[in-house]
Amino acid sequence: MNRHQSKGQGAWPFPKTRIQWLWEQMEGFHVLYVFAMLGTLLYNVLQLTVPYFSQQIVDEFLSGPEAAAHLRDHRDTFLWLLAGMVGITLFRVIVVYLDCMAYEHASQSALYRIRNFLFNKIERQDMKFYSTYRTGDLMTRVTGDLDAVRHMIAWVVRAIIEAFSLFAATAVYFVSMDPLMALCLLAVAPCIFLIIYFFKRKIAPMHALLREKLAVMNTVAQENISGNRVVKAFAREDYEISKFDEVNSDYRNTNKKTMFTWLAFYPEVELLADALPVILLLVGGMFLIGGRLTMGQYVAFSGLIWGIANPMRQLGNIMNEFQRFSAASRKVMEVYYSEPDIRDAEDAVEMKERPRGKIEFRDVSFQYEDGNLPVLKHISFTAEPGQTVAIMGETGCGKTSLIHLIPRFYEPTGGEVLVDGIDVRRYRLHDLRSNIGLATQDVLLYSDTIDGNIAYGDSHITREEVVRFARYSAADEFIAKMPEGYDTIVGERGVGLSGGQKQRISLARALAVRPSILILDDTTSAVDMETEAEIQQSLRELDFSCTKIIIAQRISTTKDADQILIMQHGEITERGTHEELIAQGGYYAQLVKLQNGESI
Amino acid sequence: MARNTYKEDELLEEPFDIKQLLRAAGYIRRYAGRMTLALILSALGGIMALFSPMIVRQALDVAIPAGDRRQLVALVLMLIGFYLASTLFITLRSRTMVHVSQNIIYDIRKDLFAHLQELPFQYYDDRPHGKILIRVVNYVNSVSDMLSNGLINIILETLNLVFIVVFMFLVDVKLSLVVLAGVPVLAVFMLWIKNRQRRAWQMVSNKNSNLNAYLQESIVGARITQIFAREEENAGIFRELSERCRSAWMTAVRYNNLIWPGIDTISVLVRAAIFLFGLLLFGQGAETLGTIVAISSYASQFWQPIMNLGNIFNNFINNIAYLERIFETIDEPVTVTDAPDAAELGQIKGRVEFKDVSFSYDGKEQVLRHVSFTAEPGQSIALVGPTGAGKSTIVNLISRFYNVNEGQVLIDGVDISKVTRRSLRSQMGIMLQDPFIFSGTIEDNIRYGRLDASIREIREAARTVCAADFIEHMPAGYASEVKERGALLSQGQKQLISFARTLVSNPAILILDEATSSIDVQTEKALQQGIQAMLRGRTSFVIAHRLSTITGCDKIMYIDQGGILESGSHEELMARKGAYYRLYTAQMEGLAS
Repeated sequence: MNRHQSKGQGAWPFPKTRIQWLWEQMEGFHVLYVFAMLGTLLYNVLQLTVPYFSQQIVDEFLSGPEAAAHLRDHRDTFLWLLAGMVGITLFRVIVVYLDCMAYEHASQSALYRIRNFLFNKIERQDMKFYSTYRTGDLMTRVTGDLDAVRHMIAWVVRAIIEAFSLFAATAVYFVSMDPLMALCLLAVAPCIFLIIYFFKRKIAPMHALLREKLAVMNTVAQENISGNRVVKAFAREDYEISKFDEVNSDYRNTNKKTMFTWLAFYPEVELLADALPVILLLVGGMFLIGGRLTMGQYVAFSGLIWGIANPMRQLGNIMNEFQRFSAASRKVMEVYYSEPDIRDAEDAVEMKERPRGKIEFRDVSFQYEDGNLPVLKHISFTAEPGQTVAIMGETGCGKTSLIHLIPRFYEPTGGEVLVDGIDVRRYRLHDLRSNIGLATQDVLLYSDTIDGNIAYGDSHITREEVVRFARYSAADEFIAKMPEGYDTIVGERGVGLSGGQKQRISLARALAVRPSILILDDTTSAVDMETEAEIQQSLRELDFSCTKIIIAQRISTTKDADQILIMQHGEITERGTHEELIAQGGYYAQLVKLQNGESI
Repeated sequence: MARNTYKEDELLEEPFDIKQLLRAAGYIRRYAGRMTLALILSALGGIMALFSPMIVRQALDVAIPAGDRRQLVALVLMLIGFYLASTLFITLRSRTMVHVSQNIIYDIRKDLFAHLQELPFQYYDDRPHGKILIRVVNYVNSVSDMLSNGLINIILETLNLVFIVVFMFLVDVKLSLVVLAGVPVLAVFMLWIKNRQRRAWQMVSNKNSNLNAYLQESIVGARITQIFAREEENAGIFRELSERCRSAWMTAVRYNNLIWPGIDTISVLVRAAIFLFGLLLFGQGAETLGTIVAISSYASQFWQPIMNLGNIFNNFINNIAYLERIFETIDEPVTVTDAPDAAELGQIKGRVEFKDVSFSYDGKEQVLRHVSFTAEPGQSIALVGPTGAGKSTIVNLISRFYNVNEGQVLIDGVDISKVTRRSLRSQMGIMLQDPFIFSGTIEDNIRYGRLDASIREIREAARTVCAADFIEHMPAGYASEVKERGALLSQGQKQLISFARTLVSNPAILILDEATSSIDVQTEKALQQGIQAMLRGRTSFVIAHRLSTITGCDKIMYIDQGGILESGSHEELMARKGAYYRLYTAQMEGLAS
């Protein structure tokens, strides 16, 4: 899958680097975040003080010949030291807690901000975007990948500071106690960077691959859930299970490989860290024998040796997590910086009032980007305000593509589409679209109440209005019969409703915005004839003016139109009224004969 | 049960109990061998690590005061040996555990997915799909660590703890008791935090699930959002869901972040106590320096596993919220199952009989009442009637997508509830109202009907259903990629592909549920020939609104109000001048006027 993406070798395609971008996302929390980082520094330094107190205790009251006397005479000092040890710990613990919460706060705020931004971005994309990115993949970006970004802010940065501050503080402390001993111990440290460097080179592509596999798995599962009816209808459960098994085991194996890559480096890192106590015992022991080091100092070295060893151990982990962030953030940023081709023009005109609804196609041609055949060829027609234009034609002749040009779902490759005499490209998308009511072929309802679905385009309308629009579309009767009426929740995609019922709700939804332009894309195909006649009647009696473009298969739907367009292979081959077209004796006349003929 | 939406949290039907963990243990048991190996390796590694303080004590108490450099070097070499061994064991253990943990996730996910395939339509209809998806993908990922490494680490850290305690007691009993005195304090602290934390994480999982549901629906429905210019409002809804996630998270991590500082505080108090007791009470030279240093070292070693346990505990609490959801799904009852003694249904001849069938989706509203009819092999039966009358329900019962509440559905005289679903459904061809197209090529989509169909058979099916024309016009023909949900196809084209898919499956019983509603009349006319060829020798059920397509059927049943109002051939029903007659004449008038 997407080899070129997972390699990620190309030039950096985004205007900001990952870190710059991340910093920008934390806007408003920069001060908090800096404090959080300082807090990390503080508690790591504080952490070193406990051994300082224990060293004092050991040196003053334990070792040395006069220890017993000290203890007798300076019991106060001893108790103060203990109290200092406990007090500083309490202080440190509070700092740690506040610090962790500050990281959480900053990371959650950034997460919140990016997530909302992405949602907004995704919502405004054009059709090209949706045919490039699958639902499962987009969901991976907004959930899994974004979590890796959060993890970077909340954990990785903290771990880096922790490692370096701990290391630095310990190193300073060690040098202050005994430079030679310190040097012997610190000499080991640089080797870690070499190991980490090789590790990074190995692990980076693994993480890119891993998140790819996750997205694929997400996609397969998502499609299976959406298509559950077809799976059952064909009894394809076993096939689906084996298909999923493939991606599931693929993901597992990639996960294993990624972890094995880490485990290949683990012994080197671990042994390097283990070298420290070994050196301490050998060199420190020699120094003790030689009298260079006091027992208290030795204990302090030994008590703090982890301050050098742990950061070294941690570095591998950090690199691992950083690479995960790298792979994921790239995916997130890809959506973050994506721009739809279809967007408001810089000099877009404002639609000041409700358009009158004149639609004009001027020599419009259209072709899908990934198709090699034109879908529409030199289409010209005009629909005057309030008129009804019917479009008929064979399956796949371009009817749906044609109407999709009006709300600018796609842009024509030639010619112009005008609404009220202005090219639709010059309107703001929001203005244009909020004046168009479209009921699509493939009805998509939301898992919400029927009321909520009908009021989708205008959530402020009252229940009375919802009912009125449901009446227009002959839906009120069956809705009222449902146990919870308009408050019945319909499942995702309106499952649980019959095709005809869904279509009628979709029609009510389109009417509820009282559009200037109403487009019905074969919206009554699954509705029985009687109901359809009822709908046709109410469409003629709408209490607002609107231009109607109706795609239909049935003559009964189209015969009263002011203008009927017949399309064949992307061209308008016949146009006129019902009577005119019958007189012409072409495709339409044949259709009439066919539909009447077979029924009589 | 009411349908769930993104707006509401899903209620957890079963409270968590120890049984859930035992079930999780079921997944682990399969890898008992490797787990044991990992445990042994870890124990060995742990023991090696425990030797190091002893070596250090030997060096400090004996070799160094004596100035014995040779002994010191020998001890250092021993130390190196122990470290090497320890690293080796731990690396091997980790490798073993990578296998185990990844296999456990794989197994759970596999079971979850397989179970989802068994669940009825109802399950998918009752909740947003995003809420199902998040369980399969995100939740399973989350629990993996807890079930594999989490569990093994609990055992290990506990063992570690036991070892340390034993070693500690070997060194000095009284001081060890001081170290252990911190434990009850910790227990009280953990108990206090546990319930709050658990509830908080359940909230996080609920809020994430809601967000996921809305996200998935918004992506799928982006076009609808755009046409209704509702981007702003939807972004507002999303922001609110997002805010809920954030605040649920912030509440939950508050508890998590308390655990570590809590343990840390207790551990330092214990350390102070060692010095205090060691020097003041037992002191006066009774304890050696080495003993104090060693105990102090064991004490920190003792608290390390406890801190680790605290982390694991955190992890556990977070993930149990997810585990509950996963098991809830796996436990979701399968309403339509194979009877324990289900037989394979032989080659269907095609006699379909409803005997006094009653059915209700929700147990309240009767959709079908005492329906009886018989379809003889090879007959074509049309179902007509107003929308919502129960036509689709009847065909759903023939495929046994639902169980009847009363009565029986028989095929060739066999009650279909007594045969395996697979043997039944694999012989049925069902064309649904919603022609769902999978992403992939057109060829793949048609082949979905019969996996071993050859490309020749696929082409033939496409030709029969009049789809060959447009398919061959596409840039890559049958190999053309149709995007998710067939985004680049018109609804009519999708129906034709779905038709071809059904045809290729060569079913004994054919069900066409509004299969041609989006296909233009011309194409349908041509398609009729294909359909007629398909119907030959097969029992078929056709639901259609365009009556012109069904007048040739052997039997027409007019369904209304959950029953068969009229039944007979077109001519018979017309002669009867009943509901069918009225419907038919109304259509004719609609066309003629």
